[in-house]
Amino acid sequence: MKKIALSVIAATAVALPIFIGENPYLIGIMISVLMMAALSSAWNILGGYAGQYSFGHAAYFGAGAYTTLILLTLYNSLNPLVCMAMGIVVASIIALITGSIVFRLRGHYFGLASIAVAEIVRLSVLNLEFTGGAQGILLSDVSLWGIDLNSKNPFYYGMLLVLVVTLSISQYLRTSKTGYYLQAIREDQDAAASLGINLAFYKNKALLISAALTSILGSLYGLYIRFIDTSAVLDLRLSIEIILTAIIGGVGTMWGPVVGALLLVPLAEMLRSNLLGDLLVKAGLVSETSGIGVFLKENLAHAHVLVYGIITVLCILYLPKGILGLFRRVK
Amino acid sequence: MIQHLLLISHVSKHFGGNVAVSDVSFAVEEKQIFGLIGPNGAGKTTLFNCITGFFPTTSGDVIFDNKKINTLRPDEVCKLGMARTWQRVKPLGSLTVLENVMVGAFSITNTTREAEIIAREQLQMVGLTDYTTKSAGSLSIGLKKKLELARVLATRPKMLLLDEICGGLNHTETDIILNIIRNIRIKGATIVFIEHDMKAVTSICDRIVVLNSGEKLAEGTPEEITNNSDVISAYLGGGHHA
Repeated sequence: MKKIALSVIAATAVALPIFIGENPYLIGIMISVLMMAALSSAWNILGGYAGQYSFGHAAYFGAGAYTTLILLTLYNSLNPLVCMAMGIVVASIIALITGSIVFRLRGHYFGLASIAVAEIVRLSVLNLEFTGGAQGILLSDVSLWGIDLNSKNPFYYGMLLVLVVTLSISQYLRTSKTGYYLQAIREDQDAAASLGINLAFYKNKALLISAALTSILGSLYGLYIRFIDTSAVLDLRLSIEIILTAIIGGVGTMWGPVVGALLLVPLAEMLRSNLLGDLLVKAGLVSETSGIGVFLKENLAHAHVLVYGIITVLCILYLPKGILGLFRRVK
Repeated sequence: MIQHLLLISHVSKHFGGNVAVSDVSFAVEEKQIFGLIGPNGAGKTTLFNCITGFFPTTSGDVIFDNKKINTLRPDEVCKLGMARTWQRVKPLGSLTVLENVMVGAFSITNTTREAEIIAREQLQMVGLTDYTTKSAGSLSIGLKKKLELARVLATRPKMLLLDEICGGLNHTETDIILNIIRNIRIKGATIVFIEHDMKAVTSICDRIVVLNSGEKLAEGTPEEITNNSDVISAYLGGGHHA
């Protein structure tokens, strides 16, 4: 049963661009969904399994995007995959420096330090010359093995592949020694240490896996969008969206982040493009000239983070285990 | 020659100006059941924390299996074969009973399959086989104590430190736990245990150390301890002259 469901989902995901191939807007949204699902899954390995909440995953995303684009503007003939690997190296160095210092401490220090590190990275990139500063980096044409990377479909499949890899790693971790150790750390650090678990080592391991995957997604995003600046790939807002996606979908579950992304990304898109307001007005539910109508059409577009916030509050109050928690009976 | 598995040598632990453990020394022999008793605040749990690496000692040494362990981390101490339980039980609440014990078993194996086999053996030993798929957080206190025991046993320890493993249990439950402890000793492990229940301690221990206000008050066989006038006055209150 589970296998059939998985096959159907996989087949749909693979065939989707064929059906909506004519519509680059829809493909763009699907790429965003896949990317946010993968980002949130990668975050979930550290935040959901090990219980170490990172509020600075944008740093690893940005490390991937910036490393890749800087290298490609300097050496045009470089293979993008090599650039991606270099991005992983940079992200891993940032992760190791953060983790080796902060994971000696317990409590909320890691959360606080992760924000600090992400801000240090953002401000450095903003003020350094070789990173393009506030102007960002623009990449001209890029190709891989003769595949034209100016179209969207290769990136749809790229993001899908990284999502599958991330979910596979999540699934493997869940049933392996490392996964059990991470969950033990999340539940009770004293108990975990007394059972022979080296807390700092396993937290660092989770952080490294999570940061490397996040960096790959950053590289892919950079190649896809071909223009990046700090507000696009290093912003605190991105870090928060990654966390909210996991929380709303179901922290610590394998499919929670995917469900969260499927719900939140299209919702954010509807708000941004005023689709929601338009729909409600067209359906005759609210009058266009009323206060609510004006608010929906004029202001809601700027407020998708507000809507995230409201959904999160409702989730924490009524669905503390996320949407997936609804379907999971307490044992 | 008698083999000392654990040697506590002039161990002190200060928290600022507060002396929790003061110059305590004793030795535990292999396969002994060793009792550590004393009134509330005597420093028993603090001493356990010093032995298992959770607190650094202020002075003095802890020697386990001929190795100095008071500078090691808790996980390193566990890997050497010393496991502990907690006075306030620490179940991994959202994991199942079986998974809790598997976490312990992973300290001696790397494969999930073997960990599960070891875990099931230990659950059988403490009598929790009916609860394997229950979440650990949902168990009653008596069952949680059994779970603690199964979990540390899964690390296959040479020495077990039990911190009030019978605390909060009724007589029947206490007897069951004491029987499990006797079985563990038969299998070759050495046990140090903190307990308030004097009847439990004297019925099972080979040797007992009494702590009072951080200092060692007395050491001896259960018989010697129950007849020691210092111990009696410490338990019944300092002003009482028996």
